[in-house]
Amino acid sequence: MSHNPLIGPVIALVAWSIIILFWMGYVRFSAMKKAGSGLGKAKRGGRGQDLEGVLPPEANWPAHNYAHLMEQPTIFYAIVLALVAMSDRFDLNLWLAWGYVAVRIVHSVVQNTFNDLKVRFPLFILSTLFLLALTLHAAIGFIHG
Amino acid sequence: MEHHPLIGPVAALLGWSVVMFFWMYLTRIPAMRKAGIDLKNRIGGQGKDLDAVLPPEVQWKAHNYNHLMEQPTLFYAACFALILMSVDSKSAVYAAWGYVGLRIAHSLVQSLSNRIQYRFGLFLLASLCLIYLVGVTAGAALV
Repeated sequence: MSHNPLIGPVIALVAWSIIILFWMGYVRFSAMKKAGSGLGKAKRGGRGQDLEGVLPPEANWPAHNYAHLMEQPTIFYAIVLALVAMSDRFDLNLWLAWGYVAVRIVHSVVQNTFNDLKVRFPLFILSTLFLLALTLHAAIGFIHG
Repeated sequence: MEHHPLIGPVAALLGWSVVMFFWMYLTRIPAMRKAGIDLKNRIGGQGKDLDAVLPPEVQWKAHNYNHLMEQPTLFYAACFALILMSVDSKSAVYAAWGYVGLRIAHSLVQSLSNRIQYRFGLFLLASLCLIYLVGVTAGAALV
């Protein structure tokens, strides 16, 4: 049995999020080491957010992006898996879903490197438009299916 | 009809998140009362504003609740992808239960003692379970 190809972009974005997790960890721990800090010296109950203003801003950018990936993509997973559960086979949806993932990957790279809002924000809007189209198609599929 | 075995860990982690929801409010609301914070006249406040006002142990439960709304979203996506592909993998089911067990332990550490060495270790182990699950998901999709 061949799987619904819409599963592909879901896996890709989950895997990309894990890559960002490691990117965040690498950048954060290097910066903590440089600042003469470390997990052993962290105060009880401390969190990643506590490093704002303590580490250089760039060192927190991958963490911002990781947090970002735990936000809007949750509704991407919900709507794409809803399409899969409805056995959607509309080619355009596959393009939209892969488009969402591709734009989110570029968005991550921008946020984690030069982080220019003039570039990052349009990327976010573009990916949101893809998500909006997927949501409309899912709603139409649900009503007419 | 027999349900897919991955529904179990998904339901368990959702259930645990609901437990944390109650734990958070059952500690936060009495602490707010004690600190003399009145909800009636507050506009636009956020839970995190309380970090500066309430004792840290009270906020730890809320930190963990927020944490459960982060990485587990990837876990749900991976599990539902496996379920929708009807993947029958014993090791994936073990990894999923491992993820849930470690996240529950992580919640207990963060809510009670909150020693970062232990908390971070548990987070890392849970992440490894998740990475394994994603590997199985990718493998199944590519076959």
